[in-house]
Amino acid sequence: MSIGDSFRLAIHTLLAYKLRSFLTLLGILISVTTLVTVVSIVRGMDQFVAERLSQLGTEVFVISRFGMITNAKQWAEAQKRPRLTLQDYQALRRGVTQATHVGAIVRERGELKHGRQSLRAAVRGVTANMIDIRTEELATGRYISEADYRHRKQVCVIGADVLKNLYPSGNAVGKLLSIRGQRFQVVGVAEPVGSIFGQSQDNFVYIPLTTALKLYGQRRSIGFQIRVREAALLPAATDQARLILRTRHHLGYFDKDDFGLISPAAVLELWQSLTGTIARAAVVVTIIFVVMGGIVIMNIMLASLTERTWEVGMRKAVGATRADVRMQFLMEAACLSTLGGVLGVALAFAGTRLVALLSPVPAPFSLDIVVAALAVSSAVGLFFGIYPADRAARLDPITALRSEGC
Amino acid sequence: MAETNNPFPENAARESAANGKLIQTEDLWKTYLMGSEEIHALRGVSLEIERNEYVAIMGPSGSGKSTLMNLIGCLDTPTRGSYWINGKLASELDDDQLAYLRNREIGFVFQTFNLLPRATALGNVELPLVYRGLPAAERREKAQDALRMVELADRMDHRPSELSGGERQRVAIARALVNSPSIVLADEPTGNLDSATGAEIMNLFNRLNREGNTLLVVTHERDVAACARRIIHIRDGMVERDERIR
Ligand SMILES: Nc1ncnc2c1ncn2[C@@H]1O[C@H](COP(=O)(O)OP(=O)(O)OP(=O)(O)O)[C@@H](O)[C@H]1O
Ligand SMILES: [Mg+2]
Repeated sequence: MSIGDSFRLAIHTLLAYKLRSFLTLLGILISVTTLVTVVSIVRGMDQFVAERLSQLGTEVFVISRFGMITNAKQWAEAQKRPRLTLQDYQALRRGVTQATHVGAIVRERGELKHGRQSLRAAVRGVTANMIDIRTEELATGRYISEADYRHRKQVCVIGADVLKNLYPSGNAVGKLLSIRGQRFQVVGVAEPVGSIFGQSQDNFVYIPLTTALKLYGQRRSIGFQIRVREAALLPAATDQARLILRTRHHLGYFDKDDFGLISPAAVLELWQSLTGTIARAAVVVTIIFVVMGGIVIMNIMLASLTERTWEVGMRKAVGATRADVRMQFLMEAACLSTLGGVLGVALAFAGTRLVALLSPVPAPFSLDIVVAALAVSSAVGLFFGIYPADRAARLDPITALRSEGC
Repeated sequence: MAETNNPFPENAARESAANGKLIQTEDLWKTYLMGSEEIHALRGVSLEIERNEYVAIMGPSGSGKSTLMNLIGCLDTPTRGSYWINGKLASELDDDQLAYLRNREIGFVFQTFNLLPRATALGNVELPLVYRGLPAAERREKAQDALRMVELADRMDHRPSELSGGERQRVAIARALVNSPSIVLADEPTGNLDSATGAEIMNLFNRLNREGNTLLVVTHERDVAACARRIIHIRDGMVERDERIR
């Protein structure tokens, strides 16, 4: 019997028992769907985060009191750290010669009011050079100036969301805004940035850092954002900044940093180690499921063999060899599991399209994972088809024929 | 697509042992073990059948007729003894070689038809050709010829459930004939049919024999056996009488 004939026969048989075939391949289908979807989404998130981080700028690193905290113990320890102050800022400004800009920022949240409208937004106190460090661009007006900073002016630059919500006319420059009961004059409006994970990035207002400290209290810890000319200079600038802060904080040689230092590379690394763990766990779990799907196929094939014993006997009676019968059953198992794999991939394709449609995650549908999933599912079908196929092939023709008359 | 390879090496020496007979059995025994009890279904059957013969096998129920047919049809293996089919020592062949004999040398017609319920008449008749490895077009042509031979040209696309008992048996006969076997074996082919339909089938066998086919038919009925030119009577697993008519 030729391969083509046994393939046609297998398809014929599977179609003759549609529901049973479908239920049999369901295990493979679900695990392949899960595998392909999870891997695609994780890759999409990696890609997405990498893009966002490069938007933030690969030439910028950030120093803050807490840095990246990933567990409760770190958080408890970080509570004992000293605040970062304007004096630290002055020292960094003077000492980090590798940097083109050293900026400072305090972050708050507050209620913005204009007329009867109000809106909760991020309130950020910044130094004037932040326009050169951060990636936001101005749409109209001007940024916070050195003079604003020095004289604690009550001026602000607003994000696109604030403009939309508080100034429906679209014209804000020169208008007033109140934060914590203080009146601020809008001097500039930023270009829209977009959203990350469904979270708008345009809901902010920039005010001079000095004004912010007056507004929210001088004891607030300040964060620093430091830009270098090119990414290659990051390590040198980082070392300088670290040395300055350690000296100022009187840390000994063996003491750990009492401040957090975050570079884009470190964030990406942390992120990828997290998603890598997710992806690995998903692969392991789904491979277990694929194997279970294979066992289901084997089980159903064995069960169907008992009711098809007569058929095997009849086929042998008209000349089917062991190899013919083995091929018939193997082909059925392989077709079942491959079909499960194909349907699983199709479903995963739909799933990732949906994710890409509903979220900013691109969820790329990469060929390698599809090929791997199909290869694994066919292999599983072949492997778990071996035993039932061998059982069928070994059936004695007359015993098989006698199992049932028709 | 190449035809299935002939799995037989040169074995001229063994072939000569068959003396040119189509079927020759020598002291065939078939013993079943039921628990500790031995049941001898065949106790030393020796017989010869020549080309173009039409032989009926008769005997009481349980005498071993089906057992003998299954051995000659290469569906079963003897406990003891040897037999040759068209010169090949079937009692010593391996599984693949037996499959080849079943495919090419033997056409088996069963009492219970044994047709694939999901396949059409044509599909059922094509089956031996599929295992022979013939390409689809040739298969179709040969199967159609075989169905025409049993006068079922207008029933080719019917499934077994859409055919009468007599028609089903004719499909089975077409399937047995389609590979032009050396011998057609039929184990009570009319057993599941009413007498009129049975007579029709026997007429068909007569014609097939006139056209040159070798037939070996098991039957209970005297008048059915009367069509044959030779009747082998089996009793208690042994040949009781070998009767030649005309
Ligand atoms: N698989 C088996 N296991 C045990 N005994 C068997 C088996 N097959 C047949 N026999 C026994 O062998 C003997 C011969 O059986 P066989 O089927 O050849 O009889 P038969 O002549 O064809 O009878 P019938 O005319 O009723 O079909 C019987 O006694 C039967 O019980
Ligand atoms: Mg019988």
